[in-house]
Amino acid sequence: MNQVLPLQEKNQPADRLLLRITKQFAKARNGAAGFCLDISSVAQAGITIVFGRSGAGKSTLLDCISGLLQPDSGRVALRSEAEETVFFDSEKGMSITPAQRRIGYVFQNLALFPHLTVNANVEYGLSHLGREQRQQRRAEILQLFHCDSLGERKADEISGGERQRVALARTLVTEPRILLLDEPLSALDVGTKLKILEDLQAWNKRRRIPILYVTHSVAEAVRVGERVIYLGDGRILAQGKPEELFRNLSSLD
Amino acid sequence: MNWQAIILTLRLAATVSAVLVIIGLPLAYWIAFSRRRWKFLIESLVAMPLVLPPTVLGFYFLLLLGRGGMVGSWLNRIFGMTLPFSFAGLVVASVLYSLPFAVQPLVAGFAAVDRKLIAASALLGASPMRTFLRVILPLSLTHLITAVVLSFAHTLGEFGVVLMVGGNIPGVTRTISIAIYDNVQALDYASANQNALFLLIFSFVVLSLVYALNRRAFFVGTVQ
Repeated sequence: MNQVLPLQEKNQPADRLLLRITKQFAKARNGAAGFCLDISSVAQAGITIVFGRSGAGKSTLLDCISGLLQPDSGRVALRSEAEETVFFDSEKGMSITPAQRRIGYVFQNLALFPHLTVNANVEYGLSHLGREQRQQRRAEILQLFHCDSLGERKADEISGGERQRVALARTLVTEPRILLLDEPLSALDVGTKLKILEDLQAWNKRRRIPILYVTHSVAEAVRVGERVIYLGDGRILAQGKPEELFRNLSSLD
Repeated sequence: MNWQAIILTLRLAATVSAVLVIIGLPLAYWIAFSRRRWKFLIESLVAMPLVLPPTVLGFYFLLLLGRGGMVGSWLNRIFGMTLPFSFAGLVVASVLYSLPFAVQPLVAGFAAVDRKLIAASALLGASPMRTFLRVILPLSLTHLITAVVLSFAHTLGEFGVVLMVGGNIPGVTRTISIAIYDNVQALDYASANQNALFLLIFSFVVLSLVYALNRRAFFVGTVQ
């Protein structure tokens, strides 16, 4: 699989994602308490696990980074050695649209286009390229994710595991600068899940982009996470290396 | 059979459906996705023809677009155009009268598209226009067909608006429904029957085609 894409690590230090986000949700009409996301962190290149119970603000955090939600205040930026790309800055009143951010985001429900073939799904984000280049990039990524046999089948006609792979391939083929994964593998059995995660790790060895991976499985976090951000009620309760963090987890609960 | 009236009716229905698609797509898109607080006012306005008798619409149409009306006198001065009792006038009035039949199915179709698909399209770099053409519209295909057919069929069976706005000019505004009315008034039941039977069979065939098409689309899985 690696004869197509040369597996060489980038020489320059990889990008870091700088996060400072507050987002307040008003009290619900039924009297339920409002919710406030208040986060300040840095996500290095590599896989950062966003860990926490449901309702901790994990998906809200990803929505704010991707631009699907507008934070109330703060700053979201991607810094490399040479330059900084600002996605959102409340002080300067700037925010660029999700389409301009080049952030990959795989939802829990994957959101594959059901009326399009696997090929058309994967090529969807490559419309700026010529036809030949599009087909080549698509073929490479499908091979890397072991989906090259699916090509002409409709996205709603393939199995669950295949759909997860195609969703990842569709996002990664666009060479995103940041990757956000909102429990895209939650419906899979452990074996399939680990195989897909290995493919993802192989892909990122070369790219070294920041990946935020939402899960509430400790096993998964320890297995693939290089760092963990532990969220609770919209705030960061702890962050650090997975082994250390989960060793002390009982004291946090 | 009154072929002149039949051809005129089909021409009117086809023109009205085409105009309604052009107006209806952006209007339905706005209603389905806008977050403006006063959106409900536009929705109510679009739905008005469902509850008003055609005479009310026709009356204000004449008042506004007639030679002495606010818009009518202006149209007459600038373009030398008079809308009442003309084919163009019939088209304008019929478009207004069939607006909800085109817009409401489209709004329902657009609103049923999974928002995550729309978000995914944007995140893959697509402009709102590309998202509309590649994701929203294909997934609302049955609703688009329904919108076209309902506007076509509704215009085909129109009577009150045509009578108010168009009058009864052979070859210009005498549609098949008006012709049938004339036949009955003249006690010419044989002609009335011929024209009525044609309208009946034609409408049934058109509707059957659409339902058959939707059924097939459903089973092929092109529409979710």
